[in-house]
Amino acid sequence: MSERIAVKHTMDLAWRYASGEAMERFCADLSDRRIEALRCGGCGRRYLPPRPFCGNCRLRMTERVPVRDVGTLVAWTVVHTPILDGRTGEPRPAPYGMGLIRLDGADTTLNHYLAEADPARLRVGSRVRAVWRPALRGAMDDILHFEVLS
Amino acid sequence: MRRVAIIGTGQTRHARCRDDASQPELVREAAAAALADAELRPADIDAVLLSNMELFEGRAFPELWAGEGAFACGKPCMKVATGGTSGTSACIAAFHQVASGLFDTALVVGFEKHSEGHTQTGMALTDPFWDRAVASGALGNFALSISEYMTERGVTERQAALVAVKARTNAARNPHAHLKSPEVTVEEVLASRMLAHPVRLFDMCPQSDGACAMVVASEECARRACSRPAWVKATATRHEQPYLGDIDRRLCAMRTLRDASRAVYAAAGIIDPLAELDVAEIYEPVTYAELAWYEALGFCEDGGAGRLIEDGVTSMDGALPVNPSGGVLSTNPVGASGVIRVAEAALQIHGRGGARQVDGARLALATGYGVYAWADAVVLGAEP
Repeated sequence: MSERIAVKHTMDLAWRYASGEAMERFCADLSDRRIEALRCGGCGRRYLPPRPFCGNCRLRMTERVPVRDVGTLVAWTVVHTPILDGRTGEPRPAPYGMGLIRLDGADTTLNHYLAEADPARLRVGSRVRAVWRPALRGAMDDILHFEVLS
Repeated sequence: MRRVAIIGTGQTRHARCRDDASQPELVREAAAAALADAELRPADIDAVLLSNMELFEGRAFPELWAGEGAFACGKPCMKVATGGTSGTSACIAAFHQVASGLFDTALVVGFEKHSEGHTQTGMALTDPFWDRAVASGALGNFALSISEYMTERGVTERQAALVAVKARTNAARNPHAHLKSPEVTVEEVLASRMLAHPVRLFDMCPQSDGACAMVVASEECARRACSRPAWVKATATRHEQPYLGDIDRRLCAMRTLRDASRAVYAAAGIIDPLAELDVAEIYEPVTYAELAWYEALGFCEDGGAGRLIEDGVTSMDGALPVNPSGGVLSTNPVGASGVIRVAEAALQIHGRGGARQVDGARLALATGYGVYAWADAVVLGAEP
């Protein structure tokens, strides 16, 4: 039987997305090292990252509340098989820690990187603090990762 | 609403790479098998539903390319794409189309060829603002939730490994399954490569090439064409908030699956699922998820899942065999995986399960799962 043919394609495309007001304000605040959550007028839940609607109450949210850059580790993992970074298309060097972090002043948790990659030094309930990029850009990754407080 | 039944199912051989077949050919392989099983001709089918994660293979309109493989030319054809639940949702959509009286027969085909695309890239193309900056993918998302689940419920790595052993052992009796390891041990699972703490290689589902199809029919057609139809007794779908971090206690609460299963139990008159169900085909992409689903599905109290797997309650000779097929842990062409759950549940009611048949199965549960954002539940029975 002859060799089967597999056709190869490579795509290099650019996309452009409108952020919406809540995300725009969130990014602008980051350049001043300020974090604010949006509080639902129905259930009172404080959402971070901010987004326009409370899914449960189906309401648009407008009330801003302050959030600290320290919080509690609600869940963690150490990733050995990295996935591609959606912004660069490159895998992040592994192993690296990831966590779900509930910042003081918010009710939802943030999915973010951890400075710690040793499972023995990570536990649910640990206190963590944001490590900021030295030159802030008003972008989502102005917080580089979170470090565990001893 | 009219009564609806599944009267035929068909699957391809599932494997890491099916270069021997193009996507339309793979779809045709499953669709033709389902029609043969139902003893119907393509002309007997009124409508076609396709399930596929189009971004995984990097092309739009998969129904356009693969539709004719599913005999869709000249018929209404609809695509369903809701992540991991795509397959179960396509089945539920077909049930609704036939139940409504719109069509008498519908053909559902789910398919995926992971080997032809970039599953990771597809997974990373979520919300472009927050999710992409801190993407952890399916694996990372599970691993995060598992640390929380283990801390709250005391589940152990060994109990999770027992789920892997059960899945791969069951798969050895399924001629279609991708990963089959009848001899695999708990020690081998615990010694396999760490992917994302505490998830090891053998804890995780594979990426498969494959397709699965089924024929859905109205009561009149089912009674005429099938000696033992698998009747659709109840269906439910639940959606959630989009961010992993929004969802209350994730694996511990699992609101979508908990609510969907309670809805189908109520509609099907099931009070004690562990005692009343004969078999379950649940969408378990990682070993720990199967344990969490036992609790969410009410097979045991919260915190009782580890004991359930240790006692063999869900093994082939237990009170409620879970995933006789080997489950998603053994075979995972994502767009097909949900269709496979429902088809395997139907196969048990049809009594055509071969070496993986649960004797006398008359009431079956199938579930679908897409991250935490979607869950489907379907109850099938030997009686309408």
